[in-house]
Amino acid sequence: MSASEDQSAVERVLAGDIAAFEGIVRRWQGPLINLAYRFCHDRGRAEEMAQEAFLRAYRGLNQWRKDAVFSTWLFALATNLYRSELRRIPARFVSLDEIAEPADTRASDRDLEDENEDRNSTVRRAVFALPSKYREALILFYFHDMDVTAAARSLALPEGTVKARLFRGRELLRSKLPQMLAVPRLKEA
Amino acid sequence: MKRMIGGLATGRPAENEEIDHMLSSEDEILPSSGFAVAVMDAIQREAATPPPIPFPWKRALPGMVVGGFIFVLALVAVVAIFVYLPMTSTIPQVSAAPPLLGPLGLRGGGGIESATKWTVLALLMAFVSVKLSMRLAAGRA
Repeated sequence: MSASEDQSAVERVLAGDIAAFEGIVRRWQGPLINLAYRFCHDRGRAEEMAQEAFLRAYRGLNQWRKDAVFSTWLFALATNLYRSELRRIPARFVSLDEIAEPADTRASDRDLEDENEDRNSTVRRAVFALPSKYREALILFYFHDMDVTAAARSLALPEGTVKARLFRGRELLRSKLPQMLAVPRLKEA
Repeated sequence: MKRMIGGLATGRPAENEEIDHMLSSEDEILPSSGFAVAVMDAIQREAATPPPIPFPWKRALPGMVVGGFIFVLALVAVVAIFVYLPMTSTIPQVSAAPPLLGPLGLRGGGGIESATKWTVLALLMAFVSVKLSMRLAAGRA
């Protein structure tokens, strides 16, 4: 569905046709749940947070100024909510010092997929252990397919700030995961 | 659409590409089958809830004005007590005016004893009025 369909659905809801909101929910449930999941890595909680985001969107529909597309407004609203929720009840994060290096791949007989999954999982846990401002910038950046502008809009921050936080977040990641990032994936070569 | 800022920003393209690769490959989760229905139920409930009763400004405003006035008076009285007390305590208590007796036989001339008595009286009156209003409210409920 396009932005104009979002707009017409919003107008119908504002005119009193509540059922028209279902189109918005069905269209954006996947992205909103996945964004929440990236913040908390808990499926149940992600759905609860996404539901609350939709409720807030419904309550605040008349506050959407049509100078930005509906999805931009919706993601900004959801991001704001998820950040507050995670501040209120933090997800189970571990500190950067507790992040274990991945197992020695030479001694492992697991296949390449398992090895990659381990590495990815370790990096994700390292992201979770970052200070919130760097973590949020990284989460939004990768959620929006590495689009800094979209990440900045969702976070309601200037692009320059987001770039700086991405830079610093990656520096922190690199400092905690030097071996993993330096070692080329030998099995792929 | 994609803006690869990794290598350009840090001068370490290989490591950033590695991070990009790992963090971009996040698993997608699918919404539960009943998610949209649950959201719409919550929204229907929200829509069915009557709007909140607006604050009764017309009724509350006179009380708030009177309350504010009393608060300002009390503030002025407290400030006056603290400003004039040191002065009256250093000046010898010689009064040319005839001694005025208040309702409780208090002197109107000042002094720490007088101020304390007036304060106690005010607090007592406030306490009595609060108790009275609470009793009245409880009687109505």
